[in-house]
Amino acid sequence: MKTFRFVLSLIITLALLYFLDTKRDEVPPLGKFMNPFAGFWQNGEKDGLNLDEELNLDGLNQPVTIQFDDIMVPHIFAQTDKDLFYAQGYITAYHRLWQMEFQMLATEGRLSEVLGTPFINLDKTERRKGMKHAAKLSVEQLRKDKEVYSLVSAYRDGINEFIDQLDYRDLPIEYKLLDYEPEPWTVYKTCLLLKQMANTLSRAEMDLEHTNLRAAMGQETFDLLFPERHPGIDPVITSSTQFDFDPLPAIAPDTAYPDLTINKTFSNPNPDNGSNNFVVSGGKTNSGNPILANEPDLRLGLPSIWYVAHLNSPSYNVFGATLPGAPFVVIGFNDSISWGFTNARRDLVDWYQVQFRDEKRKEYKYDDKWLKTETSIETIKVRDGDDVMDTIIFTHYGPVSYDRNFMGDGEQINFAMRWTAHDASNEQRTFFLLNKAKNYEEYVEAFDYYVGPPQNTAFASANGDIALWVNGKFPIKWQEQGKFLLDGTNSQHEWSGFIPHRQALHELNPERGFVSSANQHPADSTYPYYSYEYSYEYYRNRRINDRLKVMHNIRPEDMMKLQNDNYDYKASEALPMMLDSLDTVSFTNREREVYDLLREWDYFASPERQAPSYFETWWTLLYDALWDEFDAFDFAHYRPSTYNTYYMLRNHPEHAYMDDRSTPVVETARTLYQRTFKQTLDSLDNWKSEMGMNPQWSNYKNTTIQHLLRLKPFTVDNVKIGGYRNIVNAASERHGPSWRMVVEMTPKGPKAWGVYPGSQTGNPGHPKYGHMIDNWAEGKYYPLLFMSAPATSNERIIHTTTLQPN
Amino acid sequence: MKFIIRIILIAAFSYLSGMFLPWWGIAIVAAFISFLLPGHGFNVFVSGFLGVGLLWMAYAWKTDIETGSILSEKIVQLFPVDEVTYLILATGVIGGLVGAFSGLTGSTFRQVFMKKKQKSYYS
Repeated sequence: MKTFRFVLSLIITLALLYFLDTKRDEVPPLGKFMNPFAGFWQNGEKDGLNLDEELNLDGLNQPVTIQFDDIMVPHIFAQTDKDLFYAQGYITAYHRLWQMEFQMLATEGRLSEVLGTPFINLDKTERRKGMKHAAKLSVEQLRKDKEVYSLVSAYRDGINEFIDQLDYRDLPIEYKLLDYEPEPWTVYKTCLLLKQMANTLSRAEMDLEHTNLRAAMGQETFDLLFPERHPGIDPVITSSTQFDFDPLPAIAPDTAYPDLTINKTFSNPNPDNGSNNFVVSGGKTNSGNPILANEPDLRLGLPSIWYVAHLNSPSYNVFGATLPGAPFVVIGFNDSISWGFTNARRDLVDWYQVQFRDEKRKEYKYDDKWLKTETSIETIKVRDGDDVMDTIIFTHYGPVSYDRNFMGDGEQINFAMRWTAHDASNEQRTFFLLNKAKNYEEYVEAFDYYVGPPQNTAFASANGDIALWVNGKFPIKWQEQGKFLLDGTNSQHEWSGFIPHRQALHELNPERGFVSSANQHPADSTYPYYSYEYSYEYYRNRRINDRLKVMHNIRPEDMMKLQNDNYDYKASEALPMMLDSLDTVSFTNREREVYDLLREWDYFASPERQAPSYFETWWTLLYDALWDEFDAFDFAHYRPSTYNTYYMLRNHPEHAYMDDRSTPVVETARTLYQRTFKQTLDSLDNWKSEMGMNPQWSNYKNTTIQHLLRLKPFTVDNVKIGGYRNIVNAASERHGPSWRMVVEMTPKGPKAWGVYPGSQTGNPGHPKYGHMIDNWAEGKYYPLLFMSAPATSNERIIHTTTLQPN
Repeated sequence: MKFIIRIILIAAFSYLSGMFLPWWGIAIVAAFISFLLPGHGFNVFVSGFLGVGLLWMAYAWKTDIETGSILSEKIVQLFPVDEVTYLILATGVIGGLVGAFSGLTGSTFRQVFMKKKQKSYYS
């Protein structure tokens, strides 16, 4: 009996321990997680930096001083470059370890390892883009660049030093919730991060959708609905620019394109990933110094995509936004220059139909030869299930992403992906040089090594130069090359080469006194190289340029105002046309009320207005009604751009596409306006009764800064901010200005301001988690503290830590 | 008296275990103390429950106050309760259950031997 009691009690205890030590579905292991000594309770932090004032670290050569200011930006002062980047790695991991690791798990296609079965398809997708392979090539290239490799390695060592001294108690909360542990950081992961940026910014294309649409609707309609450019565009590089060089040739072959239909393709990066940058020369500013402004508009997330840091050593004194996981500053300034990026969109992915010799897929046809494939067998570990295997065939183009195992629904579909990001690249060398560049020439040279993601790089220097280069590796293409599926058996369908960096689009000190870019067309049609992408911007660029043309005596505050400008260019063009078409005689009172509201609107989408809510709803309903023909397509497709929708409504109001196919009558634009206006009122009235409040724009739009795991309590929603997509203040529902920076380049050194929607700390248990969001929404900036030596007495320094070599 | 001493010892050593061992250290502590100070089943069970449970609750409460409930107010939204107090209570209950059952295990293990000893004494 006593033995039985013991055995029973032992079994219950062991079962209880097992139960409380195991994660099940969404529930973390409760014993481990709730343990007040090491579980989640220990992730609550007191304000400020919870970091010892002195830390002894392996791998350092000399002491490093890190001072944190009142927004927790680390100012790192080191005596050697290796120590500097070692400390950068250490301190970035201190604030952002979970984020940098998790992002790379996602890029490597390993989310199922942590999150389980629902992520298998996403993991396959990531692996079929060929990023891992590309990152490995880049590591090889980086290894040959000993100088830069040693700094990237130092950054890695700093991260790993931080990881090594962690106990379960110290792990970021997300590890505890998901019950897994960090693994060592590697140079490979840093290279992979750059490929991930390319995936976010330079993978957009609609080649297969175009192939499908052209086959379905014919060339003429296709060209009308998806034009490459409209007259009167305002390109990145001023239209009057002369291109006085001999372009390398690109000759279109006289062969047919393959015409195969595919039903599903990878989802594209969100077209809301965009950015603005603009620089005004001293001639236009109050102080006579050039001023640079930049903000990359990316997914709004927590922890934030950027980590701001100030790096100082005998060879560096640079400040700005860094990517957690990579050394150096990406967007920022030093004593002599400042620079900022916007995404230079171009179609950098092309699809080739591959013809295998037989079912074994060991060889594929190329002109009159058979080339050998390589096979990569991917093992996807699944947390709550068996491993999943996926075989990916590689050709010289790249991975055969769509095939019999994935998305291709027939033996015929074998499409290989050719993407500039597949090539080995050493972007780290660019940042290595750029961070310490002293003038225009050194800035230009730094980008000789830059592959991608291509960026419109705005520049200002303390000696008064302003410039903009469209930097990156761009293939030379014949007209429409790669806009449709290409023939992989025909060598003439291949890219013939790349545009030499010195023939890249650029301008230096243009007459108009400013440079700017906002993801629009890079140049007008006189640029000798074919440049195309499906989603060029038509609005932000025009607003920015319209303003800059008339602005004078510009002060930094004016640049900030322009960054936060809420003028809705789209509404200013489309709304009068829409309102004019309404039958104002038969209005109900409610319709009259909304009509008046919209008529009186000045097109500023500020957070407290209601008009933008009505306009945007109306526009969306109109857009859906207009392009309802596309709903019938069961093949991969997309719908015309916002700007072209406006263009069609204005210039082709009687076009066959205006007809609503679900009704027997034949509609024109006019009938669509009438109907969708009424629907808009219904939709907003429903919203009002559901939410119990007025549809003020910020409430209605609900800009949300979402935690990477989409956990509601770690997410900040309903941010009181105006603007929208296609507006300079590009804060849409989930995307927006991810780092706003304004820098005045004075001869005595830069004066800079910045803000971003988040916080340096990534810990939801820190009192300052997300603390900059309100100021960001209001368009308020923090002065950035830029100094050349550790401050001895500065009231903005809240904490100092010294890293000592062991 | 033994009951109170057992509670205090379990709490004190669980505190040390919390500093140095993984969370399941409390099971070893409660089992070991109850092995040394065995008692009636219910008595041991309750002292294990209170020894670990009160410690866990108090420590969670203290930590939470020190950090201004910043995190617990977020974590509580992930659980089917709506107040941080319940989260603190739940922490105590989880620790308490482990303490109770492992205490009982330690005590009953001792009794398995004691029975043998008693037999030899009377024979």
